[in-house]
Amino acid sequence: MSKLFRSLSRNRWRTVAVSAQLIVLGGISGWMWPGNRSYPLFLVAASVVAGADIARRALADLRMRRIGIEALVSVAATGAILLGEVWEAAAVTFLFQAGATLEQVTLRRTRRALTHLVDMAPTTAIVVREGSHVEVPAAQVTSGETVLVKPGARIPVDGQVVEGRAWTDESSITGESTPVAKEPADVVYAGTVTTGGLLRVEATATGSDTTLARIIARVEEAQEAKAPAQRFIEKFGRWYTPAVAGAALIAFAVSRDAHLALTLLVIGCPGALVISIPVSIVAGIGRAAQAGILIKGGEHLETTARIDTVAFDKTGTLTTGEFQVADVVPVIDQVSADRVLALAAAVETLSEHPLAGPVVDAAQSRGSAQLEAEGFAQHAGRGVSAQVAGTSVAVGSERLMSELGVEVSPDVARILDRLTGEGKTALLVAAENRVIGVVAMADTLRDDAATGVSRLHRAGVTRLWILTGDSERVASRVATASGISEVKAGLLPEDKLAAVQELQATGLVAMVGDGVNDAPALAAADVGVAFGPGATAVAAETADVAILSGRVEAIADAIEYARATTRNLRQNVVVSIATVGLLLTGVLAGEVHMAGGMLIHQLSVLVVIVNAARLLRLGRRKTKSRTETIMEGSVPRPRDLVV
Amino acid sequence: MSTITKTVLRSDEFSCPSCVSKIEAKLADLPGVVSAQVHFTTGRIEVEHVADETTVDDLVSAVDQVGYLAVPQAF
Repeated sequence: MSKLFRSLSRNRWRTVAVSAQLIVLGGISGWMWPGNRSYPLFLVAASVVAGADIARRALADLRMRRIGIEALVSVAATGAILLGEVWEAAAVTFLFQAGATLEQVTLRRTRRALTHLVDMAPTTAIVVREGSHVEVPAAQVTSGETVLVKPGARIPVDGQVVEGRAWTDESSITGESTPVAKEPADVVYAGTVTTGGLLRVEATATGSDTTLARIIARVEEAQEAKAPAQRFIEKFGRWYTPAVAGAALIAFAVSRDAHLALTLLVIGCPGALVISIPVSIVAGIGRAAQAGILIKGGEHLETTARIDTVAFDKTGTLTTGEFQVADVVPVIDQVSADRVLALAAAVETLSEHPLAGPVVDAAQSRGSAQLEAEGFAQHAGRGVSAQVAGTSVAVGSERLMSELGVEVSPDVARILDRLTGEGKTALLVAAENRVIGVVAMADTLRDDAATGVSRLHRAGVTRLWILTGDSERVASRVATASGISEVKAGLLPEDKLAAVQELQATGLVAMVGDGVNDAPALAAADVGVAFGPGATAVAAETADVAILSGRVEAIADAIEYARATTRNLRQNVVVSIATVGLLLTGVLAGEVHMAGGMLIHQLSVLVVIVNAARLLRLGRRKTKSRTETIMEGSVPRPRDLVV
Repeated sequence: MSTITKTVLRSDEFSCPSCVSKIEAKLADLPGVVSAQVHFTTGRIEVEHVADETTVDDLVSAVDQVGYLAVPQAF
């Protein structure tokens, strides 16, 4: 018997289709030959076909001493058949089954955003073991092993490129689909896709330790975290079903009206109400995750939606946090800026100081001559020196120059003052004991800092602040360039914390930061936003929202997603509460009967799910057009704006 | 000595939160299952169990008996 039940219920769509056909046949026969026995037979058959699965689930429940909605529906349908109301029985079971099947399909859609990420997870890896290539499950690679990634393949582990060059599409991690160039020493992520070349990657994290796995875990935790309103509704839901079942019994005892009692049983599932909030949250958080925005739970979603103040820690958020050569100032007539840079780069190539890289990069990108240096010497904290093509060259601070006996003229000192006053870090370049030029470096403003800020304004953020440890001058330059009017500069980490608390007195504050020294301010803010691919683990841990892409506009996106989701959630709660009210009054007033009650109930559940699924389409068109323009190459990469 | 394994299953068939407690109770009844947690919103089922007493296949068939198709996942 249970075998028959199972085979009938395995394919829910077929069950629904067969019972629909039987109902139609019953209808036709009832109309052609009124009073014929075939009409009730068809409808009872339809009820059995659709009800088999319901009954099976009800029995499974009962075996565990539980009364679920399936039990109520089974009792209602059986009761209806016994009362001779075969039409009601067939309609109730058919509608319940059709609704449940549709709900499953549409709910799958609301979870789709995450399924997409889970599907990105790599399955196998080609590992180099004892000189030969072995294919193993991706999770079984151990860190330190070298894996081979073919063009077009999904990278199976987090790791570092040891050989080869390729492009990767990191959209599964950052939400950005612009390809990223990878060469030896670059970091690659599991789940990203390569094109254009073969890579050898040394694994640093595998399986559930990979960034992708951690993101998925975070998103799921966020989706599972219950919003306060949700807890209330779940409590309500737990009492509602037994209460309605009890009401049905009382109604029968008092009125002897079996029909009324059975109708009450039919509407005993608070379906739409209990799923109204979770479906919106799952869809909203899932949609944000696709755009590289992690919102850590429904509670943070609700707060993010109400943000009216955004405070930025400047470095690494509005700026990239990476130094670039901003000015090369030659100070002697015979020596060109190009020559100054070429000589400085020749010496800096041998240095490992953080400021050395930008000098070398600038010389390369400006096509300066590549010169060889020898006799390299490092003067800790002051600079470097070497012989370049027979000329002795020194690059470093004013102090290095005075130590080497190089004169710094008043003219040069003025240039230095001007550049440092602009917040730049300046290096003096000397050849044969004469200062020949100054190289100044500065942090770079992000391409989308200004558009991001204006989008925040449009999203209803009324106050924007820069809170930074940097000097007033640097901070206000960044502020002007990005369109922010309020600046607090020269702050220590604890000052940032105090500044955030001060802002909280008059508004709901989001603090955006990337580094360890922001952690206290991030934790104190109403919404802490860890920003950028470089966001440290501490920042991402403390934060309520993590933005993985490094796009300032993503902060505005996060607020918009949060608003849309809370709006959606409220609509759902209203729809489902209205439905419960409507059904209860309708049934008690005798206006709504079994089939009608089931129809309204199932429709309300579908409305709620379909409404939530709309969230997945948020901003779709915008994102697409941006990708298209990049593909067409019509947007020239803006020259890096140096501040 | 038996070690406790953590297994994650996923199902995309949950359509009403009432299934959560059902599946949790069913799994908790299995021998060697230390804890079972079902998340309606994400469709994730987390089980801590002694693999010698209850295998991953046992977990899948237990969930199937309650009426849902679940698939084991690496994470």
